[in-house]
Amino acid sequence: MLTLKQEKKRFREFLEALSDSYELIAPVKRELVKFDAIKNINDIHFEKNSYFPVKEFFFKKREVLFTFNGNRILEPKFENKERVFFGIRKCDLNAIKHQDIVFMQGANDPYYIAERERSFLLGYHCNEAPSEYCFCGSLELEDYFDMMFYDKGDHMLVEIGSEKGMALYKKFSGFFEKSTRLIAQHEKKIPGADRLKVKDIGPLYDNPDWKKGVDICLSCGACTALCPTCYCFDIHDEVKMSNPGSGERVREWSSCQLPEFSRVAGNHVFRNEREQRFKHRIYHQLDYFKEKYGIQMCVGCGRCIEGCPTRIDFVQIINEMKEGEKR
Amino acid sequence: MEKLLQVRNPDNKLKVGFYGITGCAGCLLSVIFNEDELLDLIKVVDLKAFPFVKEVNVDESFDYIFVEGLVADEDDLEVLQRLRKNSKFLVALGACSCTGCVPAYRQFTLKENYEHLLYRKREEIKDLQPTPVDDHVRADYYIPGCPPDKKEILNFLKGIAIGKEPKPYESPVCIECRKNGNQCLLDLGKPCLGPITAGGCNSVCINGGFECWGCRGPTKDMNLPLMIKMLRDRGFDDAFIEARMRTFVGLKMPIVEEFMKSKEAGGKLDTKFYGKKEYFE
Repeated sequence: MLTLKQEKKRFREFLEALSDSYELIAPVKRELVKFDAIKNINDIHFEKNSYFPVKEFFFKKREVLFTFNGNRILEPKFENKERVFFGIRKCDLNAIKHQDIVFMQGANDPYYIAERERSFLLGYHCNEAPSEYCFCGSLELEDYFDMMFYDKGDHMLVEIGSEKGMALYKKFSGFFEKSTRLIAQHEKKIPGADRLKVKDIGPLYDNPDWKKGVDICLSCGACTALCPTCYCFDIHDEVKMSNPGSGERVREWSSCQLPEFSRVAGNHVFRNEREQRFKHRIYHQLDYFKEKYGIQMCVGCGRCIEGCPTRIDFVQIINEMKEGEKR
Repeated sequence: MEKLLQVRNPDNKLKVGFYGITGCAGCLLSVIFNEDELLDLIKVVDLKAFPFVKEVNVDESFDYIFVEGLVADEDDLEVLQRLRKNSKFLVALGACSCTGCVPAYRQFTLKENYEHLLYRKREEIKDLQPTPVDDHVRADYYIPGCPPDKKEILNFLKGIAIGKEPKPYESPVCIECRKNGNQCLLDLGKPCLGPITAGGCNSVCINGGFECWGCRGPTKDMNLPLMIKMLRDRGFDDAFIEARMRTFVGLKMPIVEEFMKSKEAGGKLDTKFYGKKEYFE
């Protein structure tokens, strides 16, 4: 992996050059930190990770799949203008990787692929855990980026992680110096983010301690809307008033925390109990996904805890569980 | 389904009517706010009666009748019963019609608290206890909200026009609110009822920085004891919590009712808090 060095002044100039030639999307602090297109690079927020995940730029909140008129179907045109994301943390880069597994390797979702292919992912390494809820250190995260920036005080170390990153580097090579120093594995670890002590939660399914979380769960779905990996959706038709035979088929984010999510014909709801839904999310993140794809889906960003109205810390709940205990 | 097929006759457009009984007419306005698509609407359905906007109204045999407002006097009841008799499906439109909304709040307060505000010639009005429509007649569908989202009304009309069974929106406000990128108002210490309130409103109040008052009614699966605890933790007293939860859907919140009834013997509603002046100001 190619490693480069960049003085802070050159780093700023690089970002300015980027924003001149591309749409640059980076964390911005409004009421809360969120990813947004930026005009001025002074707006970029470096201290905290974004409250809202970056997934909304790839797996959109609301996506028109196609328009129809009777039996005629019109597919949408895909945007192909290139854009650059800067400031994505390690957890979110891995979240993109996990969504890539779902949408690109599994389903070949053209809408997702179009958004992914026009994007450069430039990461920003956390020198320390940006939130008290972080637990990425407990999960197996990998390098998954086009470029990664490591803040070393007066300079940046930059890793190139893909061909796309290499192409971007070649275009802006004047802003970088070659570096002989490689980034060691221990430098890639984020201190203070090793909270989850249990590696396999499979045997804990019947543990009575889940109730601690279930009792303070509102089933509001805020956790899944803020999760960078959750990919469940709902599809419905929006017809035109002037001609109800024509309209749009729309895909929207949904949530496993809602009873209506698992409602089927005949009005049966598979996960009607709050406990079933609560556990389903955590087991899908830490267990079921691994069974299917060999990797845990959760990336340990802690947003579902930070954004929960009652701050349900499932990591702590799992840590406190005693194995073998059953209801 | 059989009923739906009866209605879906391609030669005959659906016969639809909009009526208002006691209410502020805001929900009927919400229908009219769809002005861009309203002219298309009459191509699809036969708008037989809409006294709010139409001069000529034929008051007989509807497929769908939409009723805004609640029953507050004997005239209302008479109109409602006639409409029910003349229609296949009755749709309760808006919070008054579905849950009683603010007018029904009168049930939770003492008479002397509001008597001085009433019309002077009160004897001319034969008033009844204010109650939502389904206390008197059967309602087939509900479109909640104070007022309902204009798009939701339109979607309902589109749905029935193509013979699709209308489906209520049951997910809480929170999920729409997070999708809209709002900060949680409970985190700011505001008494937001979003977590227990059915959405479908696109979290319109919170988008404007105003907390949810629960106008669309509780979700079927709400965690009410937890919601009450959260509000108490944020320093709101029980009187405030009860008043807030009662404002729009008091009559349809059975658990709050039990919660309140348990305070006073004899199963009477606890009115001592609602008499307090500061909660009216």
